[in-house]
Amino acid sequence: MEHRVDPWLMLAVVSILGASLTTLHTVSRVVGANLLLRQLLWGVAGLITLWLLSRVRLDVYQRLAPVLYGAGLAALVAVLIFGVARGGNRAWIAIGPLTVQPSEFARLAVILMVAAWLTDRRGDRLKTWEVMAAVLFVCVPIGLIILEPDLGVALTFLPILGGALWLGGLPRRAWIVLMVLGVISSYAAWRYVLQPYQKERVLTLLEPERDPFGAGYQVRQSKIAVGSGGIIGQGLGRGSQSQLRFLPAQHTDFAFSVWAEATGFVGTTMLLLAYALLFSRIAKIGLTTDSRYGLTFAALVGGWLVFQVIVSLGMVLGWLPTTGVTLPLFSYGGSSLISTCAALGIVQSVCRFRFVNQ
Amino acid sequence: MELREDLRPFRRRTVVLFILAFAALGLLHLRLADLQVVHGVAWKNLAENNRLRRLPLPGPRGWIYDRRGQVLAENIPTWEVLLFPNEAEEIDATGIFLARIGVSDIETFHQRLAERRIGRMAPLVVGEDLGWDQVAAVRSHQSDYPELAVVSRFRRHYPYGELTAHVVGHLRPVSKSEVGADPRLEPDTMVGATGIEAAENDFIAGSSGDRWVMASAVGLQLGVVSESDPTPGHDLGLTLDIELQRVAAEAFGVQAGAVVALDPQSGAVRVMYSAPSFQPGVFGGRLSRSDWKVLQEDPAHPLQNRYLQGMYPPGSTIKPFLALAGLEMGMIDPQKTVYCNGSVVLYGHRFRCWRQGGHGFVNLERALTESCDVYFYLLGQRLGIEQMASWLHRFGFGERTGLDPVFEAKGLIGTPQWSQQVRGTPWYPGEAVSVSIGQGPVLATVVQLARAYAMLANGGRPVTPYLVSPPHTTHLDPVVNPEHLALVDAALEGVIHGAHGTARRLSGIPMAGKTGTAQVARLQEGVDSDDLAAQLRHHAWFAGWAPLDRPELVVTVIVEHGGSGGSVAGPIAGKIVEAFLSRHPQSSGEASPPPPSEHPASDASG
Repeated sequence: MEHRVDPWLMLAVVSILGASLTTLHTVSRVVGANLLLRQLLWGVAGLITLWLLSRVRLDVYQRLAPVLYGAGLAALVAVLIFGVARGGNRAWIAIGPLTVQPSEFARLAVILMVAAWLTDRRGDRLKTWEVMAAVLFVCVPIGLIILEPDLGVALTFLPILGGALWLGGLPRRAWIVLMVLGVISSYAAWRYVLQPYQKERVLTLLEPERDPFGAGYQVRQSKIAVGSGGIIGQGLGRGSQSQLRFLPAQHTDFAFSVWAEATGFVGTTMLLLAYALLFSRIAKIGLTTDSRYGLTFAALVGGWLVFQVIVSLGMVLGWLPTTGVTLPLFSYGGSSLISTCAALGIVQSVCRFRFVNQ
Repeated sequence: MELREDLRPFRRRTVVLFILAFAALGLLHLRLADLQVVHGVAWKNLAENNRLRRLPLPGPRGWIYDRRGQVLAENIPTWEVLLFPNEAEEIDATGIFLARIGVSDIETFHQRLAERRIGRMAPLVVGEDLGWDQVAAVRSHQSDYPELAVVSRFRRHYPYGELTAHVVGHLRPVSKSEVGADPRLEPDTMVGATGIEAAENDFIAGSSGDRWVMASAVGLQLGVVSESDPTPGHDLGLTLDIELQRVAAEAFGVQAGAVVALDPQSGAVRVMYSAPSFQPGVFGGRLSRSDWKVLQEDPAHPLQNRYLQGMYPPGSTIKPFLALAGLEMGMIDPQKTVYCNGSVVLYGHRFRCWRQGGHGFVNLERALTESCDVYFYLLGQRLGIEQMASWLHRFGFGERTGLDPVFEAKGLIGTPQWSQQVRGTPWYPGEAVSVSIGQGPVLATVVQLARAYAMLANGGRPVTPYLVSPPHTTHLDPVVNPEHLALVDAALEGVIHGAHGTARRLSGIPMAGKTGTAQVARLQEGVDSDDLAAQLRHHAWFAGWAPLDRPELVVTVIVEHGGSGGSVAGPIAGKIVEAFLSRHPQSSGEASPPPPSEHPASDASG
């Protein structure tokens, strides 16, 4: 039996896309490209993708998951060989006039795969070898992406692993071990992996006035932009921080700051409500399905999107270091938009086929 | 419809997951409320500061002229680069860029950056005197270095250079503490350091205006928001005569010393020169450390202001004033003679006359024209140090003339009281005998001596030397009896025009005066000063006035270690007086000051 797609989720997606396109229009002149038109095309393509994927039966995804996962890994290897470098990251593959970021699609494949794997196993708690398997599923693509290197995208794979372990169920002992491992590995990362400029970003959080013209500059300009929006905002296209280019990366990392400056607390509240609606619909779909695969998939997608929203907004508002994590559905970028829409399309499929048992 | 039971733990965990998610969203929303609602106004002000840039508009300093309108200090337009440090993203790259186009080396750039005051939005001057190619280079890279701005400024220029280095003075960058004390001062303002530039700084200095412009993050100026005009400083006319100054400087040649010439009636200074001098232009911008070192370590001490700060024993130039003291006290009968056999023993010590073998019988007139020391030894012994000091004070010795508020030396008249308090040793009565010929504990500045000789030339009235405007004092009464003064003046005419005068080589010039030879080191018996090493030779003095009937110019010259006053210092004074008289055949009034709007072109050749 089939159900209709969830209309509230569609409302949330369209609202966020609308705010995004409005913002991109006001910064087109600043960035110097017609972002509105391009993102509009991506948005339409995204909505079509969403609709198409929502038509497909959920169990098809479950069966195709290993194939898609393999294809994702192959794409990540291919990008390392044939990839196009942009700003130091070899993360794009050119297909005709388009450039595609395979890591965005690999993430979806990883979610499908982890969900399928979680569905197949039995029992309430994960066994040690199963934990290892989950770590392997997620960390292989992470490793390939770090080679590009695109740390921002690699970071967005972590909530998939965390979600899988949480959903699969870990004994309390294992959580403690994981926490200790986390502390040790963050220390090791600080000592041996992070570049000085990345450490500077972290230190700037603890002490915002540490280097106002260096690492702290972007965050400071972003806070000024958000704060100066006030309650009702300065008006679309009127924010001085944005229009006079004090704000960096206005169409990607700091697109939310542009919106906040233009529309104020009213606008940011509305945008946050739209995200809240999106998450609550994903949660509702997950909690009302009878499909173990559907529940797992919806929870993982929800965890991923929540993570990305929180990390991105936390950075813009000066709470988290600048990592290059984009705001889902809002920041400029075709691959990210399409892959998010695709994931939501599959969530809609969960909704439509909620009582299809395997 | 019941959901599957076996999914319950999954559902429970999913619920926890989303509860955490909404909690995080709630926190972010609180953060937004804090930024936008609670502190929105404060952030908005920061946004305003971001796009508003303050460009100081310096008020040009007033020009300085001599009495005939020749320009002594002027402003030349130049280009400067300003840095807005808070707008620079990579300050090191900016420094490298400036070094590459030759505006500033990297070390200086970072030094200036380190010296800037934190917390003020004021821009920093990082390059002066840009050439057109450098201006073009900065402008064409404006989008790469939005923190830089090219502005037109004025640089101080002294057309007569070394000639007026001490009297006009030079500028220095204002110190951090001064900027801290006066918020209206720009951190890169130049203020007067010495001379007239310092003494009259408040009058000459303009006050800055400012221009607030809206600028984008890439340095494009989008428009002027508000502007307040700078106020230019006032122009200043000095009493100095630059042509006489030139004659004085040329007459000195390579010798060290100083000359002051002034109008004995008014006190207006005509010539004021300290030799050797230096190029004041090096102080126009930032003085490099090496330039400063060269000037500091020059053995001739060109930075020292010898007419104002140099204290010298006045030697025989002090004699006319002691003669007047003797006449006023009734201790001298002008006709009565003293026998000089070349020395006299007083207080158990033999005091020698400069002429070995002595002058024979000398009256007051001969004692002055031939500068007999024995006559004055005996006079000094009779007057006593207290009387001598009292009379010397009336002629302005031991007191500042007030020509410069900061740098002027006071001179010295030693007294028993001074000896106890300052020197800490008892006064030796023989010292009074030394003071009577201007040796021992008596020191004068060249300016002081010029003022004292002005009193001899103007009928005994005290005057105050001035360069800018006459002091508001009524004409003072003579401090001595005109008949006594006439006797002394006649004797000083004889110094030049008498058959035995010590400056008779100047007899072609209608002037009067007195030579002096001040001992620097005690001479051994039978040793001539000219045979000594240069730094031990006597200082040569000459002080006099011209013309004879109604004196218009008093000239005082010292040549350090020059030897004899009559042969070394006298001719320098003679050249100045000749130049003065050739240009002033008759007494002419003060030239009217130049109209302030008109800036006559400087003419270095004169």
